[in-house]
Amino acid sequence: MKKKLDFKNFSIYFDQYLFIAITLLSVMGLFFLYSASQEDISTVAKQAVFVGFGLLLMFMVSQPDPDFYNTFSGLFLIFSLLLIFLTMIFGKEINGAKRWLDLGFFTLQSSEIIKISLPIFLSSYLYNKPLPISTKHTFITLILIGFIFAIVAGQPDLGTSLVVFMSGGYVLFLAGLSWRFIGSAGALFLLSLPFLWNNFLEPFQRQRVLTYLNPDADPYGTAWNITQSKIAIGSGGINGKGYQEGSQAHLDFLPETETDFIFAVIAEEFGFIGVCILLSVFFFILIRCLYLAFNARDRFCRLTIGGLSLVFASTLFINLAMVVGVVPVVGMPLPFISKGGSSLLSFYLAFGIIISMATHKKLMQR
Amino acid sequence: MIDLNERHIEKKSFFNRLLLIYFFFGFLFFFLISKTYSLQISSYSDYELAALKNKTKEVLVQPVRGIIYDRNGNILVNNVPTYDLIIQPSKVKNLDDFIINISKIIELTEAEIESINKNFKNKATYNRELTIKKNLSKEEIAKFEVRSFRFQNAFIDVRYSRESKYPFLFSHALGYVGGVSNDKVLSILKNQKLKQSETNFKYSGGFIAGKTGLENIYDSVLRGSFGKRIFEVDAKGRFLKELSFDEPINGKNIFTNLDLNAQKIAFEQMDNRRGAVVALELRSGSIVTYLSTPTFNVNGLSNGMSSLEFNKLINDVNKPFFDRAGQGRYSPASTIKPAIALFGIEEKIVDWNFTLKDPGYFVLPEDQRVYRGWKKGGHGTIDMRSAIVESSNTFFFSLAYKSDINNLISHLSKFGFGRNVCKDCFNPDSGLLPTPEWKMNNLNFGWFKGDTVNLGVGQGYMSATPVQLAYYSAFIAKKGNLQELSFVKYDDTSDTTFINNLSIDDSDWNKIHSSMIGVIEDPKGTAKRLKPLKSYVVAAKSGTVELVSTETKEDYKLVRQNIGNRDHAIIVAFGPMPNPEYAVSVVIENGESGGSVAGPVAIAVLNELINK
Repeated sequence: MKKKLDFKNFSIYFDQYLFIAITLLSVMGLFFLYSASQEDISTVAKQAVFVGFGLLLMFMVSQPDPDFYNTFSGLFLIFSLLLIFLTMIFGKEINGAKRWLDLGFFTLQSSEIIKISLPIFLSSYLYNKPLPISTKHTFITLILIGFIFAIVAGQPDLGTSLVVFMSGGYVLFLAGLSWRFIGSAGALFLLSLPFLWNNFLEPFQRQRVLTYLNPDADPYGTAWNITQSKIAIGSGGINGKGYQEGSQAHLDFLPETETDFIFAVIAEEFGFIGVCILLSVFFFILIRCLYLAFNARDRFCRLTIGGLSLVFASTLFINLAMVVGVVPVVGMPLPFISKGGSSLLSFYLAFGIIISMATHKKLMQR
Repeated sequence: MIDLNERHIEKKSFFNRLLLIYFFFGFLFFFLISKTYSLQISSYSDYELAALKNKTKEVLVQPVRGIIYDRNGNILVNNVPTYDLIIQPSKVKNLDDFIINISKIIELTEAEIESINKNFKNKATYNRELTIKKNLSKEEIAKFEVRSFRFQNAFIDVRYSRESKYPFLFSHALGYVGGVSNDKVLSILKNQKLKQSETNFKYSGGFIAGKTGLENIYDSVLRGSFGKRIFEVDAKGRFLKELSFDEPINGKNIFTNLDLNAQKIAFEQMDNRRGAVVALELRSGSIVTYLSTPTFNVNGLSNGMSSLEFNKLINDVNKPFFDRAGQGRYSPASTIKPAIALFGIEEKIVDWNFTLKDPGYFVLPEDQRVYRGWKKGGHGTIDMRSAIVESSNTFFFSLAYKSDINNLISHLSKFGFGRNVCKDCFNPDSGLLPTPEWKMNNLNFGWFKGDTVNLGVGQGYMSATPVQLAYYSAFIAKKGNLQELSFVKYDDTSDTTFINNLSIDDSDWNKIHSSMIGVIEDPKGTAKRLKPLKSYVVAAKSGTVELVSTETKEDYKLVRQNIGNRDHAIIVAFGPMPNPEYAVSVVIENGESGGSVAGPVAIAVLNELINK
């Protein structure tokens, strides 16, 4: 239930269900991370600071009225874009990708922010347009989405850029993008696939996709990650091997245990039962978001809650699908669990905004 | 203000679309859960095994091969531990670079480099270890260990080299060991209930097996069983800790009846002439001397020699690898005569009083063909004893002429001819006991009476190996009570009762023994020159194998200019009489005279066996 606690002149906006579920996930995340990081207390401590700060951020961000976000969504988007441009100029290059901006106390992955600010901006932009959305606005929106997608993809960061693309796409779709348009765009995309393949994908990205399509071709090369991840998950069985007992994770067979593949560590150590418990928390959050979206006070709030919750869902499912080996390895964190401050903070930010949208009643209308 | 109805439609559209995506995600959610379910529950055992295989590495531990002893407890073949530099070829990308780099630390000979290059590909294919250099010095080990980080796939470990203490003496008897074919490795692993997995091959040295001789025959006894160490390893293959260790079961030692000193004497006496010496202990029917000369360095063959040396041995005209004792086929020549005599007695064709006038030749009544004896003018009127002592061909031509070929063949077969007489000889040849069927099948000719006549003096198609000749000699010495020969002491030897189906009286056996004693002791004996070489009584029969048939001594003089055409010298002997303990056979190729060339070798060996 949405809650508005009244302290005389002063209201606190708070959704206990989301707050508890997210706190639970975050704490579970710290617990898993300790094992996944080979019992590295400093990694966990650092993550704990982000979790604490993130929860505070979520709480603070949920306090302003949605009108505030509506008003300042453009500024927020420009700020996010600025961060991306700064990254392009001053960013740290790691493994041929320039995604990180060193802020001294913390390395920011700037594309994580824009996947939040873009759907908010689009929701705001479409707030007072006649719906279903007109062709003109469709194109304006698409150009913006395409522009931002191209920037992020150019970092290069295929995974995040896809999520950014989706974040805009979801809002557009929810705002009533015509089916005919969707159909023709889809056809156009399929036709241009070979062109995109040759011109827009980096060799390592192409390799990942090829490995995905035929993992047996190279069991010790690029398919190694997928193979080892499947072994880790499969060998967990029903009950798992026990906390800190995962041999795949602890003997270095599993790659990226702290980040992309942390789900495999959880599955190995806690088995199918652990996986079901973890996923039910995620499931709960998504269902709660659906409920909140249905009961949102206006179009802006609806579109924002819908858009942001779908970004969250997409990140979650891409990560899971990648780790169990049904989609190529793209580099996608498990929300609230994987190590990495940017992703963590961006989701606290998103849920803070969702709570704000869900808890503030419109005073003027109705 | 926005129309309420329109807002309702918009809201409905939003809900529908959001639900659509949620349904899609719901489906995805279900799909991912079911995928996880299939990994964790349906395929659990596969992945559990895969995880286990990931984190454990089996290392086979080599059992120590059994030691081979002679009958006096002397070690004949032993194992020498050496520290060897070994690589895992499947992990070495560039062999030339590797050789260049390792050569900077450990000097490699050309032969070693050649062997590495030759074996690399095969070993890599089957993921078996490859020894780079054997028997490293302490300095080499130290030099390698400090730089080992540069050679991720190389390591130093103890391997056992097979070492014969007398590398030339027992080359054919004991044989050599060598690397094992890939198929053989699999069968060894299978027998020992080890799985054929990549790890089995990895660091498991000691896949050696006996290739020839007793090393081969008793390979499974000598080999033992591999032990196994299981290590926990990380993704980089680093050994983290030992999880379990099954100790290897070392091979069993083999106690042979070979006599080191007698073998030494035989070797010295043969003096690298082509031939063979086989001596038997009569009580147990075991082989005490088994020598084929010329011989070769068995250690070189077991532990690697350069291809130059190997080719030299392979191409040697004297064929040192050829086991003349067990596989050389020689006509028994006159040594067959005692067996023919016993046939005559048994079949009642002749008795000891029967005499015959020997003109020096036998004329076959059917076609007037002449079969000559070795002595021009013949031996005069002789009985069977003199025919053996003086080795009259005419007497035995005549006796054979009166024999039924099939009965004669089955009689000779009891004496060990034409069949394997040895329990544990390596690849024994059965020689040839020709039958009319054999001749028809192989030569496409019917059996002539003349073939039977030739058989009477051990010439013609018949052939026997020195092992068979020794068996034959022992068979006569033991009056037919002889079982299969063996190298190894069997506990149940004494219990075996032997049925020989021969109906020969003890007195006839004694008369044969006496005749054979006469071969040496009698002034007319063909081997009378051996008499002073010993201090006890020996029974013997010499033989001279004609390789080229000649009419006269002058013809032979021409023929013998080519060494390869000279007669082979053969002798069978046993003693001391009247209670013989040992029997011996000696063959010297192109030695010409059985009595005076092969004889001294036989006596020297008997002296060593009897006089100590």
